[in-house]
Amino acid sequence: MSDDDSDQGSFRGGSGSEAEEESNPRYRKHASSRSASRSRSHSPSGSEAEENNHEEEVADEQEPDGEDLNSEDEYDEEEDEEDDRPGKKKKKNERFGGFIIDEADVDDEAEEDDDWEDGAGEYGIVANEVDELGPTAREIEGRRRGTNLWDTQNEDEIEEYLRKKYADASATIKHFGDAGEELADEITQQTLLPGVKDPNLWMVKCRIGDEKNTALLLMRKYIAYQFTEDPLKIKSIVSPEGVKGYIYIESYKQTHVKSAIENVSSLKMGFWKQQMVPIKEMTDVLKVVKVQTGLRSKQWVRLKRGLYKDDIAQVDYVDLAQNHVHLKLLPRIDYTRPRGALRASMDPEALKRKKKRRPAAKPFDPEAIRAIGGEVTSDGDFLIFEGNRYSRKGFLYKNFYMNAITADGVKPTLSELEKFEEAPEGIDIELPVSNKDNSANSQSLSSGDNVEVCTGELINLQGKVLSIDGDMVTIMPKHEELKMPLEFMANELRKFFKQGDHVRVVGGRYEGDTGLIVRVEQNRIVLFSDVTMHELEVLPRDLQLCSDMASGVDSLGQFQWGDLVQLDPQNVGVIVRIEREKMHILNMSGKLVEAKPQSLNKKKEHRNTIGVDALGSSIQRKDIVKVIDGPHTGMHGEIKHLYRHHAFLYSRLMTDNGGIFVCRLRHIALAGNSTNKQAISAPQNGFASPQITSPRYTPGSPFGAGGSAAAGGGRGSGGGAGGRFGGVRRDRDLIGQTIRITGGPYKGAVGIVKDATECTARVELHSSCQTISVDRRNITIVGQQSKDGKTSSYSRTPANAMMTPGYREGGKTPVQGIMTPNYEVGNRTPHFGNVTPSHDGSKTPTQAWDPSAGYTPARVTDGDLDYPMDPGTPYAQTPNTLYGSSDHSYSPYQAISPSGGGGYNSSNSYINTPSPNTASPRSIQYHPAPSPSGSYASLMTPSSVSSPGLAAPSLTSFGLPPGWQTTDIFVRIADSDLAGQTGIIRDVSEATCSVYLPEEERVVTIENDNLEPIMPKSNDYVKVLCGSYRDRMGNMMAIEGSEGVVVMPDEKNPILIPLLHLCRAK
Amino acid sequence: MFYHIALEHDVLLHPRYFGPQLLDTVKQKLYREVEGTCTGKYGFVIAVTHIDNIGCGLILPGQGFVVYTVKYKAIVFRPFKGEVLEAVVTQLNKVGMFAEIGPLSCFISHHSIPSELQFCPNTSPPCYKSKEENIAIQPEDTIRLKIVGTRVDASGIFAIGTLMDDYLGLIH
Repeated sequence: MSDDDSDQGSFRGGSGSEAEEESNPRYRKHASSRSASRSRSHSPSGSEAEENNHEEEVADEQEPDGEDLNSEDEYDEEEDEEDDRPGKKKKKNERFGGFIIDEADVDDEAEEDDDWEDGAGEYGIVANEVDELGPTAREIEGRRRGTNLWDTQNEDEIEEYLRKKYADASATIKHFGDAGEELADEITQQTLLPGVKDPNLWMVKCRIGDEKNTALLLMRKYIAYQFTEDPLKIKSIVSPEGVKGYIYIESYKQTHVKSAIENVSSLKMGFWKQQMVPIKEMTDVLKVVKVQTGLRSKQWVRLKRGLYKDDIAQVDYVDLAQNHVHLKLLPRIDYTRPRGALRASMDPEALKRKKKRRPAAKPFDPEAIRAIGGEVTSDGDFLIFEGNRYSRKGFLYKNFYMNAITADGVKPTLSELEKFEEAPEGIDIELPVSNKDNSANSQSLSSGDNVEVCTGELINLQGKVLSIDGDMVTIMPKHEELKMPLEFMANELRKFFKQGDHVRVVGGRYEGDTGLIVRVEQNRIVLFSDVTMHELEVLPRDLQLCSDMASGVDSLGQFQWGDLVQLDPQNVGVIVRIEREKMHILNMSGKLVEAKPQSLNKKKEHRNTIGVDALGSSIQRKDIVKVIDGPHTGMHGEIKHLYRHHAFLYSRLMTDNGGIFVCRLRHIALAGNSTNKQAISAPQNGFASPQITSPRYTPGSPFGAGGSAAAGGGRGSGGGAGGRFGGVRRDRDLIGQTIRITGGPYKGAVGIVKDATECTARVELHSSCQTISVDRRNITIVGQQSKDGKTSSYSRTPANAMMTPGYREGGKTPVQGIMTPNYEVGNRTPHFGNVTPSHDGSKTPTQAWDPSAGYTPARVTDGDLDYPMDPGTPYAQTPNTLYGSSDHSYSPYQAISPSGGGGYNSSNSYINTPSPNTASPRSIQYHPAPSPSGSYASLMTPSSVSSPGLAAPSLTSFGLPPGWQTTDIFVRIADSDLAGQTGIIRDVSEATCSVYLPEEERVVTIENDNLEPIMPKSNDYVKVLCGSYRDRMGNMMAIEGSEGVVVMPDEKNPILIPLLHLCRAK
Repeated sequence: MFYHIALEHDVLLHPRYFGPQLLDTVKQKLYREVEGTCTGKYGFVIAVTHIDNIGCGLILPGQGFVVYTVKYKAIVFRPFKGEVLEAVVTQLNKVGMFAEIGPLSCFISHHSIPSELQFCPNTSPPCYKSKEENIAIQPEDTIRLKIVGTRVDASGIFAIGTLMDDYLGLIH
């Protein structure tokens, strides 16, 4: 009894806990043996004999721990003493009770203790002899341990024993040295853990918010009772921060707890039931959770109920004790309801009705309040209205109960953030640290991400994520001093991006889009989207570094970027931007509309839709046109879609809507010529399309640019091509081909076509063992198809298909199909026809914007010199061996221009040709021919020689831009009726010219496209057709190479002008 | 940055060209196939300067095509982050301006244009002008810019640049 009386309590403060501790000898015992170091300092006071000594304060040790050999016997002994303490009668009662308690206690302590079973057996045997229990147990214990040290030895010996015993441990530590430090640490830590012999923690219910106060109160109670007869026999009280409604009391017995909490009002509800904390979980009670479980200020929360239900609010501060949270939010004040004096005037019924409506959330407006009779008072920085405090910025600051808000997974939307930001003087609004919701954040972090530490000592440290394990993220810091990987909680990190990073959006409405970062702000990142060239604003947490190639969102379900869709029965539009759940569509009037994919229908387009442009030429998809009127005047573009009177064009120079714009058909004019000459209404369109000519053009090859060849060849392949258009054979043609995928997620992959339908192909990929379906438009054939022993004219067909880079499969074929009409037309104008190509040939390719050429300085984008040529060879040779290879060498022109068609008829002229088949590859082609009559032979020759890179896409076949026609020039008519005639242009209108025919002495109206300028000879009077000297007249003195020396009346010096730009004039 | 580096390329040749001009054709085809192309690693191949070696032709079984491995030297243009380059403005609008550095097209966001330069949509052509109107960036003007990011596609490289640094901007 006296033991306890003489004890002095010591108070231990742990982090976040108020602890009161009573020490008693038993406890001291534990402490004495707790660890090597500690035991050394405590062992002198640890013996039984020195029970009266004051317990030394045990640092920050919270839990008693460590099993001790002697504690048990000691304990039992004392148990007896304690049990004996009350009076005789009481003792009787307590005997039984003591037994039970004893058992309970032992039970608690010895859950895993085998020894106890022995003891229990004895309990059973001598159940009534409680007094004897202690000694017996001690003996057993002692025997088992092989030492009766405590009973027999004196203090010194015990001390020595302990010294020796623990000296070993320290020796071990020494032995392991530094390397063993961790191990040793762990071991010492282990020994500190609570065991069965230590007091237990009891969880006692407490009034919420009063935990700390109760702990202090109990401490005072303990001190007050300390020297009384009946002191509290509890060891400590723990009230961890953040634990609500409970405190923990450490004691050996529940009765001790009960007696301690008796008459404590705040613990009333815990009086009847105290729950014991299992030993294993005891450490968890005191585990300091670094991230507070509660809310943090500046955190975003949402309200669960009431007027502000679902509103976003920012935590101002948290009052855990009161269970309150002070929030800052946008008030919802009903400005229509009169207040104060004005209120009386209102009909109460109306008031009631009004109540139902939920006022809008907007910043507090004191003026409006005054206007409705409300009274606004001010309190320091705040305005008070109806008991609520409003900041000068218009936010409501109000206390809410913790359970009225939800903080989990609250993600403020950008618009909500903006509201908080845009509110008047929204300066000090902390942007939310992007990691409030741990789960979401850890999900979106991935290894390789650049991150920044956003809390703690290492704030602003940047690093790269190495690995992620649950919530723990290992990062490699980017710091010269820090070389080791560091571990962080996921919520301590936030993603970090730099300007110029290429990123993918992984969340939000722009999900899936990719782009380059053009601006980084604290909580906003501006992207420049790859696909649509729009700027997007995104939250950093929704971004991820994207190392792979740009793809962006270009398809959603069945829709792809650039698809023509039906908006309603009358209107169509083109998808210009795809977001997660909606699409932006450029409609026919050039307006951007948003639509849900469900409300759209994909517009089935006929492959060969044909329209007529302003000049009467037929145009179709993939043609390059120029806008000559309307809002986009001056733009060039490729026709993506045609719909009634509208054309959707694509131009790289257009920045809006990803380069797509819409024009009326009558505002556009074909630049160059149509690529697909399937159905041509006017044969004059047969002029060589530069787009087609260029790739085929083969400088320096011995065979020249065989292309699809002389007319004969053309016919042959035309047949083949016709087959392709049939649709059935095409599939078979494709099967077995090696193709490259040019679009979609598999872009760039190469594979073999296993099966093909009209619109899709099944492709077995080379790279991965996988067969995928690909849109036919997204593939190009690579390599030559190794066909069976068909005639070469057939194998030519696929080869031709590959020639043009800009046009995919099939794009080429129609060209050949068209040769036939050309051919016929050409017959009539063999002469000029032959000249034409040379015009074209000498034209520089750079003048027009060529979408297929891209920005790269390619000589010729196509890069395939051989395949196209071979086909023409055999066939052409067969029918007309006379013109042999020289013919092939300039055949590309032939094939497409009417002149080409002239091949047969004019074969005589070819015969005249010296046919220098392998002339120097890169010579300039144009040999000015002074006399047109005999010269075309010589003209042909150079043209056959070819030069690199002759693409002149948007020019007419003469190398002149459309609209070259001007008055008073000599032109040749290429029309069927008057073909071959020469006339003088009298008048030029939009699409036609009035031409005076000297031979017939009449004026006829001829379409522009049927006119060809007549090349001047030396000393001719000429007119300039294009360029900066357009419409100027002069005398051509001489011809130098491909240029004419022109003397103009008002220019001092003669001017060199390309012959192509000149025309003989009146 | 421009580099003069040794590269390698496989030329696939049709048997039809087997003859006296064979190697010429191979060279020709090499020029055609590599000049003007763009790879993420080396950037734009501007020009082949020298053909070091044309390897032995390997006939592909079943096709008759021949593969020549050609080793050549070429000048390549590889843009880098942080590189300062001169560019020609091609287009201006309110989101920023587009410029071309040879084959490389580059976008300069209005965020990356100094704020004293304001977009004036009403002038013709539209331009970025400072308040004092002593600086005006129009299409066709030469500017000096710094590349802050690049994006490599299959067919080219796209860059974004900035004018927000010393000595960047219009070159007089």
